[in-house]
Amino acid sequence: MRLRVAIVDDEDLARTVVREYLAGIADVEIVAECANGFEAVKAVSELQPDLLILDVQMPKLNGFEVLELVGRDVAVVFVTAYDQYAIRAFEVHAVDYLLKPFGADRLSAAIDRVRERLGRGEALPVRQLAADGQPAQDHARRILVRDGPRVHVLPVEKIDYIQAQDDYVCFRCEGKEYLKEQTLGELERLLDAARFVRIHRSFILNLDRLARVETGERENRLAILADGRRLPISRAGHARLSALLGQ
Amino acid sequence: MHPILGRIDRLAAYLAVWLGAGVLLAGLYTRFGLGWIEALALLSPLFLVYAFVCLSAWYVSRATPLTTSSILRVLLSSAAASTFASALWLALAQAWIAALSMTAAFAPAADRYAQQLPFMFAFGILLFLLSLAFHYVLLAFESALRAKRRQLELEVVTREAELRALRAQIDPHFLYNSLNSISALTGSDAAGARRMCLLLGEFLRNTLDVSARQRIPLAEELALAGRYLKIEQVRFGSRLRVEQRVDEDAAACLVPPLVLQPLVENAVTHGIAKLLDGGLVRLDISQSNGSLVIVLENPFDGDSGGATARAGGMGLDNVRNRLDAMFGRDARMDVRAQDGQFRVELHIPTDLAADLRQTNSAGAAPRPAISAEADPRVRPIEEP
Repeated sequence: MRLRVAIVDDEDLARTVVREYLAGIADVEIVAECANGFEAVKAVSELQPDLLILDVQMPKLNGFEVLELVGRDVAVVFVTAYDQYAIRAFEVHAVDYLLKPFGADRLSAAIDRVRERLGRGEALPVRQLAADGQPAQDHARRILVRDGPRVHVLPVEKIDYIQAQDDYVCFRCEGKEYLKEQTLGELERLLDAARFVRIHRSFILNLDRLARVETGERENRLAILADGRRLPISRAGHARLSALLGQ
Repeated sequence: MHPILGRIDRLAAYLAVWLGAGVLLAGLYTRFGLGWIEALALLSPLFLVYAFVCLSAWYVSRATPLTTSSILRVLLSSAAASTFASALWLALAQAWIAALSMTAAFAPAADRYAQQLPFMFAFGILLFLLSLAFHYVLLAFESALRAKRRQLELEVVTREAELRALRAQIDPHFLYNSLNSISALTGSDAAGARRMCLLLGEFLRNTLDVSARQRIPLAEELALAGRYLKIEQVRFGSRLRVEQRVDEDAAACLVPPLVLQPLVENAVTHGIAKLLDGGLVRLDISQSNGSLVIVLENPFDGDSGGATARAGGMGLDNVRNRLDAMFGRDARMDVRAQDGQFRVELHIPTDLAADLRQTNSAGAAPRPAISAEADPRVRPIEEP
């Protein structure tokens, strides 16, 4: 089987050496060279490579973030110069990785293992790997949403609210809506709890957008946002909101 | 070792004081009817001997240090020791009198002396107590001296440890990526690979060399930073652009080693490397009002919040702490992150520049390696 590979590294020379090595390996075709994560996501979407050779440290979107965005569609061999966090995560999750500088034989062996895996149809533990591979943050500062070949970076402070829709969540941000395959519960853990409140089974609200709370008939409460939009508040949600607002 | 017995100059001074006390007492004795010659003959050997007896106060002061012993214990041990010492002195005096009274000339003196026994005893106690007090002061003085020396030693050790840490601070990430660049160049550009090897070798050697010194000419620090930037330019290509302007006379100023290089490293790793299209690192060095002013500016990724500024903290903190330790308030470091631009401004006093001219005549500073042909204001630094 011919393996279609995309090389992702922000350094020109680092891509050069991988290209050179790959030329010596049978049944491999380089379909794309990407200088950053955005190009990688685009390449995956448009060219459907079998394998990404993916650098961990890259500007704006690092290797783990790229993995989160495309991980289910493609096999990945990580490359890093020195990153203790990442290496520990690779070891724990038995993910293939190469340490710079590496020789052609290492790359060749990694590609052999990828072929085996593809044959068995194994998938990477994408979310877990991304969580373990990066130093823990208090809470997410931005949300990455993939829209076909495009990646949207949503700074959390610009998100108005998030709504659950079946297997997806919908982010309302600067008048637009973005869909991402994720659960509201996961998001609730990622986001700053002092700013984002689960006001309802299906809604997380950015407190900065809340204008007031209205109580309707039968104790039904509604959150009125600054732009006039109305969101339902559940009993439990109201308790959380009150606790946060100190009422 | 006894603080007085151990040093001949101290012992001489100590005995001189005792001689004075002896003469004083002899003067008193002349009032009791002894002649000067008799009094001196009687007292000077006794004082000489008692001077040494009183040196034993050192052991008392050491056995009952003021800081850890109760007042009662100090009082009791002082009283006991002084009584004992004075009694011993009295016994010696009587023996000496007895010996003297064998000679015809001193026989009458013996009688008169016997009347002064209680006075002699009290005076002995007083002298011993004075000696004890003196030893306590000496002890405190020595321990203060010791504490100061220990603190100085500690400072030296700390500084050494810091420098050692700095030497080890050569970022593994930088090292492995540079090696990877060399590995890549080997296939396509052998001459480039060799250039990179040389640059890397020079950079590592320079870093080790300068970190072993107290002060280096700014020109050397600039050369080091220049090599670092050249290496990173091989890695990042057109993403890393460099521009520098250095006042002619500033290059000769003396600075602590590794004040500039960590800032430049910070600008690249936390600034340029995190931007898709990279950017310009701008270095401006001038002299004003006896201060060397170093300004370093670079763009950074504002989207990642304050992370960039904070992540750069390590190298910056190290520089700030060392400047603090060396110059106190005379040196200053201002850091500002605003509108996607990161800016560090250093002020370092330059009053040491004079020493440098001598150093330089011995060995010329290496030429700095930052190239910036594009900007007409910018030119390589001449050797001072």
